[in-house]
Amino acid sequence: MEWMVKANEPGKTYLLQGNEAIVRGALEAGIRFAASYPGSPASEIMAMLGRVAGEMDIYAEWSTNENCAFQACMGASMGQVRSLCVVKQNGLLTIGDALHTAALSGCKGGVVLLAADDPNAHSSTNEFDSRHQARAAGIPMLEPATFQEAKDMMVYAFELSEKLQQVVMVRSVTRICHGRGNVTLGELPESPSQPLPIGEWDRLVAINWFHDMLFAKLDQAQAEFENAPFNGYSGPENPELLIITSGTGWLYSVEAVEALKLEDKVGILKLGTTWPLPEKLVLKYLEKTSRVLVVEEVDPVLEQNVASIIGHNPGLNVSLFGRYKKSALPQSFELNPDVVINALATLMNTEYQPRQTGEVPAEAVVNIPPRDLTFCAGCPHRASFFLLKQTLRIHEGNGVVMGDIGCYTMGGQRAGHFLLHSVACMGAGINMGEGLGQLSRFGFDQPVVALAGDSTFFHSCLPGLVNARYHDANMLFVILDNSATAMTGFQPHPGIDINCMGQPANSISIEKVVEAIGCPVVVADPYEIEATTQIVYDLIKQPGMKVLILRQPCATLAVRTKGRRKVWVDPELCRGDECGCGRFCSKTWGCPGNIWDYEAGKAKIDEVVCIGCGVCATLCPAGAIKVEEGGAV
Amino acid sequence: MSNQLGKDPLNVIICGVGGQGNILASELLASALVEKGYYTTVGETYGASQRGGSVMSHVRISARKQYSALIPRGEADIIIGFEPIETLRVARDFGNKDTRVVFDPRPNYPLGVLIGEAVYPEIEAIANELRYLCDSVQILEATRLAQEAGNAQAANILLMGALTAMPEIPLTAEDYGQVLTQRFKGEVYELNQKVFNLGFNSLAV
Amino acid sequence: MPGGMQLKTEVLATSTCALCGACLDWCPYLKNLEDHLVLRFDCPVTEQGRCYSVCPRTFTDWQAINDRFLAGVDYDTDIGAFQTVYRVKSRQSIRDQQDGGTVSTLLRTALLDELVDGVLVTGKEDALTPWPFLAEDAAEIEKAAGSRYLVSPSLRKIIEAREKGLEKLAVVGRPCQVQALRKMEFNRPPDSPALDVLSIGLFCMWSLSWAFKDYLAKTYPGLTFSRMAIPQHEVELTSNEGIKSLPMETVQEFIRTGCRYCLDMTSELADISVGAFEPVPGWNTVVIRSDRGKELLDRAVSQDLLQAEEYPPEELNRLRQASRNKKARGLRNIKQAAEEQKLTPFIDMSQPPYQAIMEESSGKEGF
Repeated sequence: MEWMVKANEPGKTYLLQGNEAIVRGALEAGIRFAASYPGSPASEIMAMLGRVAGEMDIYAEWSTNENCAFQACMGASMGQVRSLCVVKQNGLLTIGDALHTAALSGCKGGVVLLAADDPNAHSSTNEFDSRHQARAAGIPMLEPATFQEAKDMMVYAFELSEKLQQVVMVRSVTRICHGRGNVTLGELPESPSQPLPIGEWDRLVAINWFHDMLFAKLDQAQAEFENAPFNGYSGPENPELLIITSGTGWLYSVEAVEALKLEDKVGILKLGTTWPLPEKLVLKYLEKTSRVLVVEEVDPVLEQNVASIIGHNPGLNVSLFGRYKKSALPQSFELNPDVVINALATLMNTEYQPRQTGEVPAEAVVNIPPRDLTFCAGCPHRASFFLLKQTLRIHEGNGVVMGDIGCYTMGGQRAGHFLLHSVACMGAGINMGEGLGQLSRFGFDQPVVALAGDSTFFHSCLPGLVNARYHDANMLFVILDNSATAMTGFQPHPGIDINCMGQPANSISIEKVVEAIGCPVVVADPYEIEATTQIVYDLIKQPGMKVLILRQPCATLAVRTKGRRKVWVDPELCRGDECGCGRFCSKTWGCPGNIWDYEAGKAKIDEVVCIGCGVCATLCPAGAIKVEEGGAV
Repeated sequence: MSNQLGKDPLNVIICGVGGQGNILASELLASALVEKGYYTTVGETYGASQRGGSVMSHVRISARKQYSALIPRGEADIIIGFEPIETLRVARDFGNKDTRVVFDPRPNYPLGVLIGEAVYPEIEAIANELRYLCDSVQILEATRLAQEAGNAQAANILLMGALTAMPEIPLTAEDYGQVLTQRFKGEVYELNQKVFNLGFNSLAV
Repeated sequence: MPGGMQLKTEVLATSTCALCGACLDWCPYLKNLEDHLVLRFDCPVTEQGRCYSVCPRTFTDWQAINDRFLAGVDYDTDIGAFQTVYRVKSRQSIRDQQDGGTVSTLLRTALLDELVDGVLVTGKEDALTPWPFLAEDAAEIEKAAGSRYLVSPSLRKIIEAREKGLEKLAVVGRPCQVQALRKMEFNRPPDSPALDVLSIGLFCMWSLSWAFKDYLAKTYPGLTFSRMAIPQHEVELTSNEGIKSLPMETVQEFIRTGCRYCLDMTSELADISVGAFEPVPGWNTVVIRSDRGKELLDRAVSQDLLQAEEYPPEELNRLRQASRNKKARGLRNIKQAAEEQKLTPFIDMSQPPYQAIMEESSGKEGF
């Protein structure tokens, strides 16, 4: 909770979310500047910093993209101010070049890069292990294993960053970020860090000449890490099997050892500082065992670093197990206590039987329908995909649609009538569209459509739009403008006139940007399905680069600000299955607000879920769906 | 409700569908426990579940130390289900014979059911299988009761009331009430306290 | 009776569709935009599909339909069952009239004499773009004067007629549309409400796809057209910069594929059929088929609105030959397409009239 994060109660223990613990840690470290782009599992961090910014006298920014965020932090760092940049794993890859050059130039005021990974990709397209980047860029890295560490490591990281004049990564994962647990608060600083004047020769310049210096900083970090409070061993003096673990792997390993009752045979070396590894510490425990299991998320990064130590110390006699080549753990997807228990049981040749439920006779087993994701009730994307699908079917049914990242990525599924031909990363839609659209010169004549949300547009489509216009691609670029970065929690973006801290901001008109670039642009309302179908149809027939903005606010946001409008089915008019429409509203339109009353045999509106957009009423062939007049939407 | 934690760690799963207030409910519960001096870990699966997906909170309570955010298979001691098929899913994966299950029978239809490609099972069939899986299964019409009390959306607090009343949970009604006072004001507080009490007194425990 | 998916595979996807518009009605799966008609989403109906049952391009026993609606009328294998043929013109001039202004006059008569309570006609958005509408007021009929050469699925307006509560409708349609109207009644489920339709069938060789408009826009940029006519074997377009003539071959490239399979030139199933009278501009050929059709013409003539004269026998033969030629072309196109596995024939080609026609006129080129 926000008040816990701000509380001036050192020593008090609260239940904090991992993200909240990170915020608290950053505040205790005295940050003054924070920048991020929304991305699960880390979105809550900047959202909370934005809310407390006024009171805590800091600056918090939802940057247009992660590059802006990270480089802004580097800029603030030049003013000797402590800066926090928060990214998810995909965002970390976005700032690849920026990160590597920053590592070369170093920083002034402490810069901590909080990289939040999403093992299992619960809310991501892929599961990428950010730790590779720390090693690749040559910056020190910490991994919290508990919520307490998530807080404490922030303070440690900022101090380290300033000592080394180097960017420090703290790498968290979903189970820490979104989990909650006990966190004992520390002290908030009297006053946060003040900007200091920058002298003529105070520089942050990335030149390769500094490459050796980068390594020197790493060596310095390593020396610090040998005594860091986040590393420690528990277990027998000479364990039969040594678990080396970091991050969430630690608590799973502890639980596994307990579950298998192997406390006197298996030791656990927990590491919180994982790049560079405190080699002396690791060696000390490697020497005491002949078998090592490395437990970590997502990739065998720690494992391969340990393997490197083993390889450089030929005197050791150690067999190494872990995720590499699935030698003990799966090579992909998330860890959990069961996975680790099973791996440990196999390695230690013991049995583990989880507690069982009662037996269920075959005829009592219920067939549970899966719960697929779909657009929220009233979502404008549902209308957009519906009209795009029907327009492309009208246009000989052979249009190619490039998707992008956001709620509308679900348009590749049933919710969007399987419209998308491609999904990659932010900004990919327009670029892939441009490439395919160029093939018209070779006789390719299928219509090319690319999608992007409004936040995605600002994040990464601007160069793509310029490129497509400059090269006059034959394509239609559709911007789905729902006035929010919805998928990640309705954060504002440059098209919105308030900022992260709730203050007024200079919103930027998407259509003016598009016009300035020189593309013909049309703005239409996706709720007006028939009229907009005609617009899309006409645009597709034109050659060259065209832009269409489908503008209607996100339904979930609209309902919070404007309230709901009543929609209901008149049972006298609904013809039920006799209609022959095949339950068009619930099956084909597919809004969760349109349900079927199995008893009455007619369509029905779920009033708990319906927000009142009224689009289904325009589709019902019997005109049985009624909408309250004069309502909000 | 009790004053001591018996089984340590005590594993509670609160499950449902995105938008039912699952997260708020588990957070209030865990906060009350931390305030009482227990180590509590809450593990949540959400993100895209705003949009109709399954949501699960794993709450792990210990007097000794912080546990990981995920409960191992078969180790759930209590399952509170905000939705029938979610309850069944969770019971199959995480329940054992001794697990105590309480669930709200109001269905939330998955997309597949809405489009007529899947059938939502009968509530009685769900309860039937649950009774095979776990010895203690109770139905609590939280949404209906909450609606009668003034707001269907407060069903989550009602279920927390029922949970708090269980002897395994080392909380009193006052402990939870304290958290409610901290978090809510005015009419919202009144309603939440009212439905909490309704839930607290609803099950034979 | 199969449903939308079968309609899609058999008629829509094979380009057999005549774009009559009858299938649209209230169906939410079928969608028409300009001259496209598609199944926009997969339809779950696989039995008793209304769309399939009314479509003139699904397999049909046309003899049975003729016997139901034109029972007792002498049947002519070339131009269908008919009572009499006249040459007719309106006694008053009608703005934008194509030939004799007969259809407009017949419609006015039908409305004013309360034989129907509404008419379904096709007006125009601009000179070329057809725009079907329902009129309940005789004054609105003049908006529909003139021929439309671009295809229009005007029967999509039937649903509106129902919604307005119109019980008796006069419909001006192409032969395919008249066929669909008859199938609508022939296949109507017993408990579903009937719509009483008085059909005025037009003579039709083909309809053009709307790509013709794009062609004109590209070929004559900036010009607006007010009228299109085919006086002899050239197409005349009246524009704001004079008359532009196009050779038939150019225009024929825009003939819809679906039209090439048509076997009906004179709307053989209508109550009354109307076309141009080739020898003399400003006159129509009128074919009386049913008693309703006869009554309508008689009324207009007795009220001195129309002048009806004897039809020259040599013209009748020429009309018959033209109709026979169209059937031959159509049959040949169907046969060829069937051989290339582009479609399955929607009529029984082994039936006597079809067989005879094909045998007689092999060697003529189809369009």
